[in-house]
Amino acid sequence: MTFLDQARIVVRDAQQAPRTLALEAFEALGLPTTSDEVWRYAPLRELDLDTFSLAQGLAPSSSSVAQGLSTRAALLIRVHNGELIEVRGEAPGVSVRQRPVETDERFAQDAFSQLAFALSPGVVEITVEPGTVLEEPVVVESTVSRGASFPLTSLVVGARSSLSVVEHLSGESGAFVVPVSHYAVAESSNLRLGTYQYLPFDGWHIARSLATLERDSHLAQAVISLGAGYNRSRNDADLVAPGARNELRTTYLGRDAQVHDYRTRQYHRAPRTSSVLLSKGAVAGESRSIYTGLIEIEKGAKKTDARQTNHNLLLSPHAHADSVPNLDIRENDVVCAHASSVGPLDELQRWYLESRGVPRRDAERLMIQGFLYEMVAALPDSVSGVIESALATELSAVVGA
Amino acid sequence: MSHFVIDELRVEVAGKEVLRGLSLEMSSGEVHVIMGPNGSGKSTLAHALAGHPGYRVTGGRATIDGVDLLTLAPAERVSAGLFLALQHPLDVPGVRLVDALAAAGELGEVRERMSEEAARVGLRDELLDRFMNVDLSGGERKRAEMVQFGVLRPRFAILDEIDSGLDVDALGAVARRLAQATAEWSCGVLAITHFRRLLQEMTPDVIHVVSSGRVVASGGPELAEKLEAEGYEPFSALES
Repeated sequence: MTFLDQARIVVRDAQQAPRTLALEAFEALGLPTTSDEVWRYAPLRELDLDTFSLAQGLAPSSSSVAQGLSTRAALLIRVHNGELIEVRGEAPGVSVRQRPVETDERFAQDAFSQLAFALSPGVVEITVEPGTVLEEPVVVESTVSRGASFPLTSLVVGARSSLSVVEHLSGESGAFVVPVSHYAVAESSNLRLGTYQYLPFDGWHIARSLATLERDSHLAQAVISLGAGYNRSRNDADLVAPGARNELRTTYLGRDAQVHDYRTRQYHRAPRTSSVLLSKGAVAGESRSIYTGLIEIEKGAKKTDARQTNHNLLLSPHAHADSVPNLDIRENDVVCAHASSVGPLDELQRWYLESRGVPRRDAERLMIQGFLYEMVAALPDSVSGVIESALATELSAVVGA
Repeated sequence: MSHFVIDELRVEVAGKEVLRGLSLEMSSGEVHVIMGPNGSGKSTLAHALAGHPGYRVTGGRATIDGVDLLTLAPAERVSAGLFLALQHPLDVPGVRLVDALAAAGELGEVRERMSEEAARVGLRDELLDRFMNVDLSGGERKRAEMVQFGVLRPRFAILDEIDSGLDVDALGAVARRLAQATAEWSCGVLAITHFRRLLQEMTPDVIHVVSSGRVVASGGPELAEKLEAEGYEPFSALES
């Protein structure tokens, strides 16, 4: 039975119009190809959906990183194969439920999102009442079994709220995971969001997030990916009202034959909006990375300030990085900047460390950690230590290889 | 008692031979000074001995107690007892000095020892937890090199024009620390300079004059006075 046959049965049995429509949309769109600009460089030819069944099985026990994160949580939300399985702790003003999938026009052209809408068990919806202020983070521990799974998340932050949300994704080998997330940040709210992905290295991770930022709201989003064979992470922000601010940091570390594929779109639709994007990653072994980022500024979005930076560290002669920043500006009264770089570790800095008695391998590890330092430092305090040590462990493996 | 022997060392920089058979010998606890005009090869000697990637050794040997430094990786040369303090210590953004020294080997309570050393050379303690040399003044950088020196306790230290660009206070602090080290663990000090200022702070045992990539004269402190009076011109004539 093909994957599509399985999908048709699931959707037929569910008898929900949005799912039926989504599957029809998926079939009409078909899987994307690399001739589509947003999929350029992606190893889509290696993707054979028919090798996957829909994921099923019980949730595994928590990884040490997930445990480290959850001990610091005000609220722990556990999700397995896209299904809400547990909410632990209490955070006043925050409620969690799983609701049926609804049709969402914003993802109409994205085949993988449509597939997710058709096959996900539902949307994990986290609602934050207006005026909610949390010191400790809300942690979403998401796990997946072997096979295809489609975790959908909707985070709705009410006005004048302030909180941190940390998502952690891990799972079994042989996973094909398509997370689709929407973050709605209402007026004068402040959301710090961290997403940490560590799937086994044979996995496919095709993630998409869209943030909608209202007047004077602020989203600081950090995306860190160490896992999956193909890690795709598209993170978009719509700045729809004046004064909205978006900071996005994406971090990756490639080893073996991994592919890290980051796409971003900062869409400025209102005056006095700002976005700062910093994408930094290191590729070792035969791994490669792709960064294509678009800053789009609508006519009338005066006094917009938009910046994007992408730096790539090449740790082996066989590693490769593509960096393609793009601007699409339809307003004159704006400040816009982009920068990108691709290169190896600084040879003289490395020698300097070695000449202080630091063995080469340790010197390289320290330098890569240093290169990624500002990415970790920007995470919420309560979780940066956990992520930093996970990253250090991973780095030792990469440099030792 | 340790011995540091440089024997007929030849080094190329960008395809050009800069050291042309340089030799000198020194022992534990001694202070040797290398003087010479710009371009004579003083800094090349320091960088080549520390394994700088821009310098290619084409001949000769350099040993500490018989161990050939030139076949070792830079960090192994440190284990063998060599330390280089640089004229221009490099910025290493993202790497804290304390983490670098912690990775430099089994050095015990590194952070505490760094604090002690920092106090001895008048370096603000908080700088030890900052990224290496980033935003540090010239004087702070040299003092930070002395902290590394004090923690690593090398058998022989090469100081590459560590006195240049230093104010009198910093120069005094550096020189006092070096002088103490010669007593504390019989550290041998090889100071490269073209100023006499350092010599007023430390008493050298031997002065070597380098010209065109070779040692052309060696002698006691009186040699520095001769240089002061007559310049390098008479020594250039000694080249063969």
